[in-house]
Amino acid sequence: MDAAERALLAETVADALAAAPGVDVVATDRVLAELGWLDMLREETDAAIEIVFRALGSTNCHATLLDDVVTHALALDAGPDIAALLPPFGRWHAPGRIEGERVSADGIMTDRATTAQHVLIVSASSDGLRAASVSADAMSLTAVRGIDPDAHVHGASVDATLDATFDGGSSIDAASWATAVALAQRALAYQIAGASRTMLDLARTHAVERVQFDRPIARFQAVRHRLAEALVATEALDAALISAADEPGPQTAALAKAIAGRTARTVAGHCQQVLAGIGFTTDHAFHRYLKATMLLDGLFGSADNLVLDIGRGLLATRHVPTLIEL
Amino acid sequence: MERFRHDLHAWLDEHRDELAPDYERPGTLDQHMAQMQRVKSILHAAGWMRYGWPERVGGLGGSPMLRTELGAALAGRDITDPGLFSLIEVLAPTVIDFAPQALAAEMVPRLLSGEEMWCQGFSEPGTGSDLASIHCRATPDGDPATAEQWIINGQKVWTSLAQYSDRCVLLTRTGSPESRHRGITAFFVDMNTPGITVAPLEMINGEHEFAEVFFDDVVVPADRMLGSLHGGWAIAMSILPFERSSCFWQRIAYLYRRLQRLVDVGRDDDRTAEVVGNAFVQLHMLRSRSRVTQHRLASGETLGAETSIDKVLVATAEQSTYDAALRLLPEAIALDDSVAGELWRSEYLYSRAATIYGGTAEVQRNIIARRLLDLGADE
Repeated sequence: MDAAERALLAETVADALAAAPGVDVVATDRVLAELGWLDMLREETDAAIEIVFRALGSTNCHATLLDDVVTHALALDAGPDIAALLPPFGRWHAPGRIEGERVSADGIMTDRATTAQHVLIVSASSDGLRAASVSADAMSLTAVRGIDPDAHVHGASVDATLDATFDGGSSIDAASWATAVALAQRALAYQIAGASRTMLDLARTHAVERVQFDRPIARFQAVRHRLAEALVATEALDAALISAADEPGPQTAALAKAIAGRTARTVAGHCQQVLAGIGFTTDHAFHRYLKATMLLDGLFGSADNLVLDIGRGLLATRHVPTLIEL
Repeated sequence: MERFRHDLHAWLDEHRDELAPDYERPGTLDQHMAQMQRVKSILHAAGWMRYGWPERVGGLGGSPMLRTELGAALAGRDITDPGLFSLIEVLAPTVIDFAPQALAAEMVPRLLSGEEMWCQGFSEPGTGSDLASIHCRATPDGDPATAEQWIINGQKVWTSLAQYSDRCVLLTRTGSPESRHRGITAFFVDMNTPGITVAPLEMINGEHEFAEVFFDDVVVPADRMLGSLHGGWAIAMSILPFERSSCFWQRIAYLYRRLQRLVDVGRDDDRTAEVVGNAFVQLHMLRSRSRVTQHRLASGETLGAETSIDKVLVATAEQSTYDAALRLLPEAIALDDSVAGELWRSEYLYSRAATIYGGTAEVQRNIIARRLLDLGADE
């Protein structure tokens, strides 16, 4: 896909999502399914996750596509009948544990938990990692309101017999899980990048329009510098995402996700201060983006946990890799 | 590019002993300068110093990214000081693009081969981050269009390595005092001209990298004018893309090297992991951004205000790296008089200037707000 095709697709997806009712997960899923999300994911994985997740973030739409990203990255057949159990909040380890024919697990699920037939659970076992599935009926779900009720996520746990109808628990290597984590981290980082960009747009618009002391507050250097800081953070995240796409791997993806979490916090902090009173109300859209990024930060590794893990990795190997070259 | 990098590193491995400094770090500025000029001479003879420079000044052509790779390789191996070595990037392109062709062809090889050192006379005591306010005056000896020589009077400050320099790329005021960026002209001045006095400044870390330079009735031939009369601002601006791509990449290579050193000596605990992890994340953001910028430059795009973002990131990452050093090695920085302690102390102190030189962090944010966020004029 060349740059022009990407741009066209990005526009199509953004327009479709802008027209979709943002808080309705089922409707958003349907809009993206009609645009050919699954085919895009299979044939143009990088472009699909960049365009679709960035658009989800910038329009604050919620969907269940992360399940497809995980399933596809494990070389399994993604589709609406398969949900994926996501790791617990802040973490990125395989969420399940297999002993004999039983699997037990704890984690988070998207709203696909309520519609799918099967739930994919990557699990540790005595033979290493296994990708297994259980019947969706076996999952014990707790609908979560939490910080972002619009996201419709669920706390999920299971202790059940493996479901032979989908996959009896085939072995995967640790690298496959690492690849799935990396793809999910990149998708989430794009989503956070989209949301961060919108938070900045909202705050910029407010700064230009809001008049105080007989002038737009955008004239005040203190306000300008906050917005400039937010732009620096947003642009740095975009650059880290380019690195993660050009040199794909667990390290560049974890860095992009860590940087995404940090960026969202930086951008939200500055923008909320610039938006001041109106940003503290639900009359203004800002709060949705703030809440969305606080949830997204916890999926597949929070910034704080990832940075600590990255640091531990540097100390374990006593090596600082440059990762990307000119 | 990959091939060049591979061959370069193979050659550097092969010549490791010949290129290594013959003194213990941190060393003195005299030693750094002598080392850099010696290394440049070896690299020039072997051809490496000529890649990425145009053939009309003795170069071997190719993308400017080739010379960035060279600078980064030298910095990453502690062969030369990246701050000193990357000065080539803010000097040679100016002379190549704006000097008469014969002058450029004569002079640039001297800089690249280590035969000469040059300096950049831009800042003045009154300018700070407002470069367009310079006062150092050049007066024509007769009509400005036909004058054979110009007389220069005034003062420069923060002139890197002036005391070692043979030539100076100098910005002067040739228009009225109020003409700002429209009345500035650049000259290529021999530093041994009578009337030039160099007074090195002692920095917070005890180094003498910068100097004050005084010009007292200094006579410069008219054929040493760079670019056109009153065209000096364009020259000053033309340096920015090189300063903010190649120079930054070399600095980045060195910062990775210093973080590697922290990781070498750091304790194996979670506090250390968090500190080095944070610094690494900052460096990765910076390296990612700088790589995108250099690819844009190499593909022919004109770099502009958006490089202020690179500038903010480089200052942030540099200070983060040395903040990490201060958190992990506070006693070494405060009390250790060994080579390692001296180096951390000196570099920590120097890193505080990262948000000041080359346009302060505040000026960068003003540019970002005005030009990139389109917030209009400020108060």
